[in-house]
Amino acid sequence: MSLDGKLALVTGSGRGIGRAIALKLASQGVDIIVNFFRHRDSAEQTAKDIESLGVKAEVIRANVGDPAKIDEMFDMISNKFGRLDILISNAASGVGRPVVDIDVKAWEWTMDINARALLLCAQRAAKLMEGRGGKIVSISSLGSRFVLPNYTVVGVSKAALEALTRYLAIELAPQNICVNTVAASAVETEALKFYFKEGLVKDNRQVTPAGRMVIPEDVANIVAFLCSEEAFMIRGQTIIVDGGTSVGLFALAGK
Amino acid sequence: MTVEDQVRDIVAKITRVDKSIITRQSTFKEIKADSLDVVQALVAVEETFGIEIPDEEAQKFQNFGDFVSYVESRVAQEEKV
Ligand SMILES: NC(=O)c1ccc[n+]([C@@H]2O[C@H](COP(=O)([O-])OP(=O)(O)OC[C@H]3O[C@@H](n4cnc5c(N)ncnc54)[C@H](OP(=O)(O)O)[C@@H]3O)[C@@H](O)[C@H]2O)c1
Repeated sequence: MSLDGKLALVTGSGRGIGRAIALKLASQGVDIIVNFFRHRDSAEQTAKDIESLGVKAEVIRANVGDPAKIDEMFDMISNKFGRLDILISNAASGVGRPVVDIDVKAWEWTMDINARALLLCAQRAAKLMEGRGGKIVSISSLGSRFVLPNYTVVGVSKAALEALTRYLAIELAPQNICVNTVAASAVETEALKFYFKEGLVKDNRQVTPAGRMVIPEDVANIVAFLCSEEAFMIRGQTIIVDGGTSVGLFALAGK
Repeated sequence: MTVEDQVRDIVAKITRVDKSIITRQSTFKEIKADSLDVVQALVAVEETFGIEIPDEEAQKFQNFGDFVSYVESRVAQEEKV
């Protein structure tokens, strides 16, 4: 499963799941464009770690919620590399509030970064994939189809992302571009540790048949598979990585 | 307009508070700025002054005055270059 010599843009790859995806692809010979927004130090560190795997890394700052910044990022990729083989739309943000407290600002911020960015990045990426084909993978969460407390806007944005994935998969298929989404349950990241501390997320090991939490590398492995030729016939799908949690009705079970 | 006035205008617009209540001593909480307001204010200030404010620095701001002082020092640096 070698992806030697390919070029990938991974949005939000300075830390968390994006970083794990970037490192996984790099370990398979992919040169990586590391996109970040607010944490430059993390992005520089990830780039160093990518380079130590023997491939090239480029760091680009861009707020993917801002169409002009997406354009600047792709102009740079276009000028410097003139091509792109893989787009991973991983960056996400969100405002955790009950339904009654969601205002237009919170809605737009979240939808723009989590859903619209996939559309705008895919449009630009498809041009850079012209004549060579490519892979587009985005990262979703179980909140797109299941209800989690204070997760409304993010959940809705992820549902949009998954629907958009299906449309992109069909419309970009003639250009030999494979489009899919990987949806995870709670993943052990720095962000999650914070949510644990705040009591917003519970330790979900008891409701995970696989017996442990999902880690960023679990997600990265599936993303890398979807970027390989072996996955050529998988199109427009949302692949769930949750250790089996979502197939059980644990809310109804006694302790 | 001074840097302080420009930053105050940006913050007031985003948080929709009257700018006369924003003093150097005001905390973000007093200005009723939630975490989204703070990020949006940082982004707007970055674009206005053509600077980058890393999160590591922004975390240290205790009040509006810290924010303004940081922007002032960065703007002065830019002018020197
Ligand atoms: N952690 C989980 O439990 C979990 C579960 C299911 C799905 N997911 C999904 O997995 C993906 C990654 O999550 P994570 O937990 O690794 O996230 P995280 O730790 O919260 O980090 C978010 C990442 O996105 C970047 N980012 C945020 N806003 C951005 C913007 N406007 N423009 C560009 N980059 C931006 C951040 O960059 P900076 O730090 O530089 O700002 C950071 O790299 C997301 O799509 C998330 O929804 C996560």
